[in-house]
Amino acid sequence: MDYIITTERLTKKYKSFAAVNNVSLNIRKGSIYGFLGPNGAGKSTTMKMLLGLTTPTKGSFTIDGKQFPNDRISILKEVGSFIESPSFYANLTGEENLDIIRRILGLPGSCVADALELVGLSEFGRRLAKKYSLGMKQRLGLAGALLGRPPILILDEPTNGLDPSGIHEIRNLIKSLPGLYDCTVLISSHMLSEIELMADDIGILNHGRLLFEGSLDELRQNALQSGFTADNLEDMFLSMVDKDNVKRKQRAKL
Amino acid sequence: MRIFAIELRKGKRTGVILLMPAVGILGAAYAFAFFLVRKDALLNLPLAPMDVLLTQLYGMIMVLNMFGIIAAACIIYNMEFKGSAVKKMYMLPVNVPAMYFCKFLILTITLFIAIVFQNLAIIRIGLADLPQGAFEYEMLLDFAGYSFITSMPVLSFMVFISSRSPNMWVSLGIGVAGFLSGMALTVPGNTFLCIHPFVVMLKPAAAMSAQPDLIVVIFSLVETAVFLFFGLCAARYPRWE
Repeated sequence: MDYIITTERLTKKYKSFAAVNNVSLNIRKGSIYGFLGPNGAGKSTTMKMLLGLTTPTKGSFTIDGKQFPNDRISILKEVGSFIESPSFYANLTGEENLDIIRRILGLPGSCVADALELVGLSEFGRRLAKKYSLGMKQRLGLAGALLGRPPILILDEPTNGLDPSGIHEIRNLIKSLPGLYDCTVLISSHMLSEIELMADDIGILNHGRLLFEGSLDELRQNALQSGFTADNLEDMFLSMVDKDNVKRKQRAKL
Repeated sequence: MRIFAIELRKGKRTGVILLMPAVGILGAAYAFAFFLVRKDALLNLPLAPMDVLLTQLYGMIMVLNMFGIIAAACIIYNMEFKGSAVKKMYMLPVNVPAMYFCKFLILTITLFIAIVFQNLAIIRIGLADLPQGAFEYEMLLDFAGYSFITSMPVLSFMVFISSRSPNMWVSLGIGVAGFLSGMALTVPGNTFLCIHPFVVMLKPAAAMSAQPDLIVVIFSLVETAVFLFFGLCAARYPRWE
């Protein structure tokens, strides 16, 4: 199998607390990988490690065959990212913000208009970013990630703060990306219902541990075997997380 | 050069590029006004005319420059922390220490421009108001260079502090505390206190002679390099790590 991102027993500990615990991910090239888990499961921390924003306590990972910190620049050239909340220069307009990123990436000027168009921000490009609504800031962050159409996209809850029509629009956009220019998307969410509509493969994380990794079909099989209906994966996901929580409590008592 | 141009673009609408030249013009205006009002009193002081021209005007000019540096350093990093833009920079293929160095360079150049404006005013005053033949270009250049070099430790220190404090008021507070403690600790003779960057900047203003002090120059160069080195090393790692 042609994996573009692989992690090997990736661990991040803050003193005695393990935010990410021995997580081994395998993300296929050209796929949309949904990274699922409740709040505080370690999704963002894993993504931050993949971007070099935080260093793993243990374990390793490769992105397109390259490793941090030696290949930092060459990895980041290939990865468009959006982590936690949108990051922008409040004193610049949306267009100017993207222009800064474009210059860093060494892309032609036309990329800015292309990215604004993709996220539906064209008519607000000349407005100061600090005057954007939360949804517009979210779109600007996404535009920054999509700038230059990078082969890998790492998106942490990109639909947060968007209205239902915005969520639908961005979801369709993300879904269309691998077909549009053959990119790989790693997207996190705490809602299976949302991931179900986009992802080819999913990984379920709880309290830093990977509970499941596989395709949606495999998850459906798993659901059927566990007595859930295949069209109700949300219940399956919740029960998986609940079971793990019970196990954790039992382990803690012992 | 590419990163330098990007850093200049980032500063748009913050006023950071214009701040120090504006401080330079303000300093120049102060020099004209002060000499106009107190010319006779100043020229009757028991000092050489060039010492009067350079040291007696420098006190206020130095305070203006110091607060200009503090404010500019706070602004240049506040734009990175406001909106968490700096977080995005760590996710892009950019050399973050180079970004830090370019910010340092921008402030150094704008400080240099400010000092040029102030010294142009001093040249004008010297040629018009000092006794015939008393004005010396060479001495003025020496003192201008001395004041520039002794200002650099504060600039280097403040850029480092601002780069590590997401809250601009913390950096500003440290700057003001540095000024006040510097004022209290600037006493003639005690060279050891020159490890305090604000004391170094205050030294030329506290001296009665315009002759550069070699020990102060050495302290200035070392402190500038040390704070710059710390800043560049710290910039390699995100603040939250």
